[in-house]
Amino acid sequence: MLRLVANRLLGTASGEVLKRPLQVLPRFYHENVIDHYNNPRNVGSFDKNDPNVGTGLVGAPACGDVMKLQIKIDEESGKIVDACFKTFGCGSAIASSSVATEWVKGKSMDEVLTIKNTEIAKHLSLPPVKLHCSMLAEDAIKAAVKDAEAKRAKMKPSPIEKAADV
Amino acid sequence: MYKMMQLWTPLSTVFRRVLPTTCCLASFTANSQFASLSSHLQSSSRVPLRYGLDFSPYSKISLLSFCSQSAAKLDSTTKRCWNCLAEATGSTPFLYCDSCRSIQPVDLSIDYFKIFGLEKKYEIEVDGLEGKYKDWQKKLHPDLVHSKSEKEREYAAEQSARVIDAYRTLSKPLSRAIYILRLEGVDVDEEQTVSDPELLTEIMEIREAVEEATDSQALNQVQSRMNEKLEETSDSFANAFQRRNLDEAVTCIQKMTYYQRASLCCSCNVIMGSTTLRIEEMITTDV
Repeated sequence: MLRLVANRLLGTASGEVLKRPLQVLPRFYHENVIDHYNNPRNVGSFDKNDPNVGTGLVGAPACGDVMKLQIKIDEESGKIVDACFKTFGCGSAIASSSVATEWVKGKSMDEVLTIKNTEIAKHLSLPPVKLHCSMLAEDAIKAAVKDAEAKRAKMKPSPIEKAADV
Repeated sequence: MYKMMQLWTPLSTVFRRVLPTTCCLASFTANSQFASLSSHLQSSSRVPLRYGLDFSPYSKISLLSFCSQSAAKLDSTTKRCWNCLAEATGSTPFLYCDSCRSIQPVDLSIDYFKIFGLEKKYEIEVDGLEGKYKDWQKKLHPDLVHSKSEKEREYAAEQSARVIDAYRTLSKPLSRAIYILRLEGVDVDEEQTVSDPELLTEIMEIREAVEEATDSQALNQVQSRMNEKLEETSDSFANAFQRRNLDEAVTCIQKMTYYQRASLCCSCNVIMGSTTLRIEEMITTDV
């Protein structure tokens, strides 16, 4: 993070001088992880109270990570049209949730429930010690879907009521 | 009359030390431990053959049981120094033999609280830890055993590392809490996902406040709030642990982890802030 700040500041001051980052250690993160960390997709927040928004809020207390993943559902089709996330944690956790938001867009809620943490981990080449980050992302997706479905269930009139109306 | 004694030290060492003195005989049947003892004996060149012992591992064997004058005090749990065979006194944890000043091998049954002579309680006198820690290192530190055998140098490295770990673990409330739960057989699971909305919303808001803080004063405010929360939750843990409500205790540990992490982020951001300032100064100054 310090490297990032230093780069950005030095970059604006004198464009040519330091093209190479201040690299001391060999890299251990897969380039996909670094990509998601440097260019995070879909960071942000939707309105929690919007009936078409499902919010999944999960945490990994052992490492102090929190992850919020939100999905926006299209009322008619029931598909996920947009997603955003906010994660406080390590690079792997951030990347995992970023990937999750990309993968859920355009899919139905049933479909995204089949996204497995192992797929996310494979895409990011996560080492064993970081596998729980991908698990957290999977749990976040499930929590968001659960919340969205609960809200949809509340909105729809129940079959009994419908029958009574007739 | 003759007490059965389980020999903790290699039998060859026993032969070396005790043979000249009086000894008493007892016979007992072999178990798996003696299989290893007897094989050790066979490999040792110092075994006196005149005792005519049958050392085949799987048959019933009669072994000499050596006992000193104070046979009555000995039982199967008495520890002896590997070097001089002096008994461990009950008063201090047996990391070091005061008789011959030899460092002992690590004994994992001596937990961290025992090392510091403390009761196994969450609330301890943290101030007293440093003095005891330094006293131990005066006896165990690897720098003191350069001239000794490789075995003892290994013991020194392991024992002194263990005492360092014990000191660090017991000094901080969170690590102490996790450790004391582990002694009760409860591991705060690394991989567990929590979804308590109240706690997570609170933590989310705190972390957002830390990220969005504009100056170090705001960060210090958040940090002092975190330290307050840490103390409160530490008290809740002590309470829950005392009542043996281990589920509640685990929840307290989870909260403490989050507050500690948030507090750490405040420190990081303060450092980042001042570093950013210095870099900006560097850039604007003429080189």
